[in-house]
Amino acid sequence: MDVLHSLLLGISVAFTPQNLLFALIGSAFGTLIGVLPGIGPSAGTALLIPLTAKLPPTGAIIMLTAIFYGTQYGGTITSVLLNVPGEAASAITCLDGHQMARKGRAGAALSIAAVGSFIGGLFATVALIFIAGPLTKVALEFGPVEFFALMVLGLSLLMGLAGRSMVKALMMGALGLLLAMIGMDPVRGAPRFTFGSAELLDGLNFVPVIMGLFGLAEILETAEQEFSRSSQAEVGSMLPTRQEVKDSVRPIVRGSLLGTLLGLVPGMTGSMSSFLSYSMEKKLSKHPERFGEGAVEGVAGPETANNAHANGALIPLFTLGIPASPTVAVLMGAFMMNGLIPGPSLLREKPDLVWGVIVSFFVGNLILLVLNLPLIKIWVRILRIPYSVLFGVILCVMVVGAYGVENSVFDVGVMLASGVAGYLLRKLDFPMAPVVLTLILGPLMERSLRRSMEMSQGDVSILFASPVAVVLLVLSGIVIVTSCLRFLPVKSLGAAGEEAEV
Amino acid sequence: MNDRCLTTMSRLSVAAIALVAGMNARAQEWPARGKTMTLIVGFAAGGSSDVGARILAGGLEKVLGTKVEVQNKPGASGQLGYTAIARAKPDGYTFGVATLPGIMVSCLDPDRKAAYTRDSFQPVALQVVDAGILAVRTDSPYKTLKDVIDDARARPKKVTITTTGIQTGDHFEILELQKAAGVQFAIVHFDGGSTAMTALLGKKVDAYVGNIGDIRSQLSAGEIRVLGVMDKEESPFVPGAKTFTAQGLPVVGGSLRGYLLPAGTPRPIVQKPSAAIKTALESPEVKSGLDKLGLRVRYLGVEDYTAMWNEYASSVKDLIPLSKQ
Repeated sequence: MDVLHSLLLGISVAFTPQNLLFALIGSAFGTLIGVLPGIGPSAGTALLIPLTAKLPPTGAIIMLTAIFYGTQYGGTITSVLLNVPGEAASAITCLDGHQMARKGRAGAALSIAAVGSFIGGLFATVALIFIAGPLTKVALEFGPVEFFALMVLGLSLLMGLAGRSMVKALMMGALGLLLAMIGMDPVRGAPRFTFGSAELLDGLNFVPVIMGLFGLAEILETAEQEFSRSSQAEVGSMLPTRQEVKDSVRPIVRGSLLGTLLGLVPGMTGSMSSFLSYSMEKKLSKHPERFGEGAVEGVAGPETANNAHANGALIPLFTLGIPASPTVAVLMGAFMMNGLIPGPSLLREKPDLVWGVIVSFFVGNLILLVLNLPLIKIWVRILRIPYSVLFGVILCVMVVGAYGVENSVFDVGVMLASGVAGYLLRKLDFPMAPVVLTLILGPLMERSLRRSMEMSQGDVSILFASPVAVVLLVLSGIVIVTSCLRFLPVKSLGAAGEEAEV
Repeated sequence: MNDRCLTTMSRLSVAAIALVAGMNARAQEWPARGKTMTLIVGFAAGGSSDVGARILAGGLEKVLGTKVEVQNKPGASGQLGYTAIARAKPDGYTFGVATLPGIMVSCLDPDRKAAYTRDSFQPVALQVVDAGILAVRTDSPYKTLKDVIDDARARPKKVTITTTGIQTGDHFEILELQKAAGVQFAIVHFDGGSTAMTALLGKKVDAYVGNIGDIRSQLSAGEIRVLGVMDKEESPFVPGAKTFTAQGLPVVGGSLRGYLLPAGTPRPIVQKPSAAIKTALESPEVKSGLDKLGLRVRYLGVEDYTAMWNEYASSVKDLIPLSKQ
């Protein structure tokens, strides 16, 4: 009853023509920012904060939050069509989304991603309304020790990302961890592998690296062939087939749960959610070999998860006043500029604003769905552009995008170098997903481990002192063992065959 | 011979006078009509430093009658932005935000390999102080600062306390506190206030050290208790919390945000933005904007701010070796 009353209050605020317009503007801007590679949600939101200073606070916040979750819709588009991630959380969608596009299923991939994003966003918002309290307790359970255990589980899923060769996957995983070591040591303050460069003190910037590894490497590889075909592929039907829909249901449900839960944990990133969702889908799939060849599950899961994450990350903002991600921190800055301090006290003082904003999440997500589905038809026309023209355009977009991440020419160099490295690694048939996973995971894992050690002053037993951590570690053990089993029967058969021959 | 020497000297002095006159003329017409000023912010857009700078930029535009463009160069705790300030043309049109003690650490710690030194900058004005605090959960057994210190003394290296990162202001404040009280904490470095606050609320750590600007939500929700403010006076944002000094521990710290020009900017020009910042800070718009962020305006002019830099240079120098132990 109480919730119902609050919802009605929220509806009365969110559905005024003015606030509907703000939600629409925010959604459209968000999609645009998502489409532009390099400009991620936090930079995009921050750019528009000054504009909102003159607006009424409720409208300003509705617009800014819509920009924030709107970027998650837009990011998919370039990943699928051009193999260039529009923003970090959509990077993994390149793997199968772009393969689908090459097979003429671009429209289907984008439709599924849009619907998945909508459901994910909706799920996290419903969770915010009905079970925010208990969920907040879950978020608070995740201290450094539990965070580390979760990262171990993430790392164990790496084995599931292996293609034909486990050794190559593990090598790439190790390479990613090594690259993640670059930068200032989080505990001793000493620079590691920076070679005297101040730009590297913060470590490699993730977005230019994936732009290079995925986008540029792809262009270099395709450039080897003659541009005999005038365009990439037939555009095909916009609608997913019955089978594609059926295959997407479970990944969307799992992605909603995973994204919402990870979104709650401060310090977790949206790209972590999408990567873990992808790894999990591949692990659970009956046909893991289809992943990387255009499996719809590899689009549906991660795209749902990153949206659920975005909306889930807003839960601790309202219940604890803690921004769970850098973008939410920017949003919090916008609240404060309007004289509002987000947190439980805001709900008491300004219930109309809080509930208006929460209800606007439904409105915004719906607008994004309605906005994005018809646009897909227009977007996929990009694929009809001849390669020779398209590549030049993509290269320009990537250079500008890499520069735009932190206004740094250095990042353009990082993007180009990663592109060349990615090209060579592709030629040698090394998988890309493991290196990207460990590059995201490495710093989070290291920091949580060393934080745990600081807490216990070096006593390792702290890692097993928490029930949540133990459960997660046991799960990782199970994942590792079952992943190894996949390789065992082949070997034993081979051995048996050899014996028979002798 | 003598004659020639004299003429050279007179020529030189004429040249010098001309130069000074020219500079004065340039200073008089500063800022030239229609010339945009660039404000370099070495922190990500949307953060507290950035928002504070943007509010001031708006005020400065009105005072100076020229456009002030904010340019974000985030990275390496501000170091990339500081490098850009140091390398800018010293004509008074490019200036930047600096946070003490952060910038001093990057100047003095050889590991940071900064492309500048303390002498690469001309301090212009101090804008705000975001004082440091020590806080615990409301249900914590620690009721006073003394409780925390006593427990840390009884159990050396067992009482866990957070920083928002290595070599941040919080980290140095804890080191000073350890020195002043003669105790040892288990210092846990987080990356920013939000993960540290989560750990505090989730009962993973015992105490939190950070700035007032970062804790206002939890404070107004009654989830945390501030045991002490590291400032010379009590803060209006944390009613009832005594200063550390009043509790017998002379620890003063926090994040001090001010503005810098590159070294070599002509003296008469330096005074102008400094005065303009003062006027802008007094305008009700800027004042209320900073107030909403929980930032306390504390203006210092060129001389006082430079003196503060020198103070920090010596205190930070002593703490850097300790911060790496």
